[in-house]
Amino acid sequence: MENLTQLFIDAGKLMLAGMVFVFAFLGLLIIFINQVLVKLAIKFPDPVNQNSRKKAKVKTSEQDGVSPQIVAAISSAVSQYRQKHNNKE
Amino acid sequence: MEQLNTLWMSTGLANFEFGQIVMMLVGCGLLYLAIAKNFEPLLLVPMGFGAILTNIPVAGFSEVGGLLHYIYYAGIDTGIFPLLIFMGVGAMTDFGALIANPKTLLLGAAAQFGIFATLFGAIALNAIPGFEFSLQDASAIAIIGGADGPTAIFLASKLAPELLGAIAVAAYSYMALVPIIQPPIMKAFTTEEERKIEMAQLRHVTKIEKVIFPLGVLMMTIFFLPAATPLVGMFCLGNLMRECGVVDRLSSTAQNELINIVTIFLGLGVGSKLSANAFLNVETLGILALGAVAFSIGTASGVLMAKLMNKFSKEKVNPLIGAAGVSAVPMAARVANKVGLEANPHNFLLMHAMGPNVAGVLGSAVAAGILLALVGQ
Repeated sequence: MENLTQLFIDAGKLMLAGMVFVFAFLGLLIIFINQVLVKLAIKFPDPVNQNSRKKAKVKTSEQDGVSPQIVAAISSAVSQYRQKHNNKE
Repeated sequence: MEQLNTLWMSTGLANFEFGQIVMMLVGCGLLYLAIAKNFEPLLLVPMGFGAILTNIPVAGFSEVGGLLHYIYYAGIDTGIFPLLIFMGVGAMTDFGALIANPKTLLLGAAAQFGIFATLFGAIALNAIPGFEFSLQDASAIAIIGGADGPTAIFLASKLAPELLGAIAVAAYSYMALVPIIQPPIMKAFTTEEERKIEMAQLRHVTKIEKVIFPLGVLMMTIFFLPAATPLVGMFCLGNLMRECGVVDRLSSTAQNELINIVTIFLGLGVGSKLSANAFLNVETLGILALGAVAFSIGTASGVLMAKLMNKFSKEKVNPLIGAAGVSAVPMAARVANKVGLEANPHNFLLMHAMGPNVAGVLGSAVAAGILLALVGQ
């Protein structure tokens, strides 16, 4: 029983030390990101070319991304309109 | 007649022990979970098959001279396999979400409470007759709460190799059960209003930040916790290969071919530890129970930490992403996203949840390093 009490005390110490250390370590990492990485990002932004290329890509993918159903709906509407128009004439 | 007798004695039927049959059934159970239920199939298929192989009578797969014996000692006893897997995981991890919102590191840290609380639970089990967990055993069991398979196997192989089979089975089973275990806990600790919180869009993270980040993490580990450098070091190597952009071939190998090859051997090696005398005892039941407790406490403490942060910070955090602090990448983040969508169909939390998710990987590696440093002698 005494042995068990001792084990409990050891486990408690381990828990306290462990949690304090985990928080301290990851807390330091937050400081590292906020103090070092963010400043580096401002000083050395990604090259503009890449950005514009990416944007261009996004635009084309958006254009490509128009679903075929919508395209079909629009073209059928246009053809219907034309047919009606032609009939009236 | 004598020859017939000798022939009979060399068959499996004559040599089967009851425990071996039970363990083969356990192996079949793992195969069933992997194939029919899709539970962590990449690891459970080789692990389940390894469990069957190791329990074949006469063949001696896990004795000196047997294949599984050498796989285990070459890769798991030395810690090489889990570390190579960790390198692959590093190569697959994008720290962008974490760098964009660094305070989510606190959520990853809070979720590690599951590990240390379970350590207490494992020691408490000693009060029941039949359980005799030393502090080393308890630490190895507790790491299941980190929800990180390779970390759990690495630590168990160092601290309690005799429990490795049960710990690995528990760790991977619960990781597969994340979508079932987590949502009720997440809902119990949050209100409907909190689950609806929408978060600000993440900023763009530049390439230089992503390249310097793994180096910074490694530097800090070197300074403050060298015991964790095997895990963190391999993880950071994988991540640097991914982000630096000049070794795409290596990065691709680490996250595809290499990790696949190592996973086969890791599964077989862990399966070799699923022998009747090591697995069929009351301690295994205790480990399985403690694993569930560890997971639940980790999830709850991540959620509660997010709520605490909301009390002090102007920028609100959706507490659901706290649950992703237990690593289990990317399953835990997906679960946070899914539960968030249930409350608010326009609220996509996936990217926000990836922050605490990868923070949890770092957190559990750090926790493993602490346990190694403090009880590893």
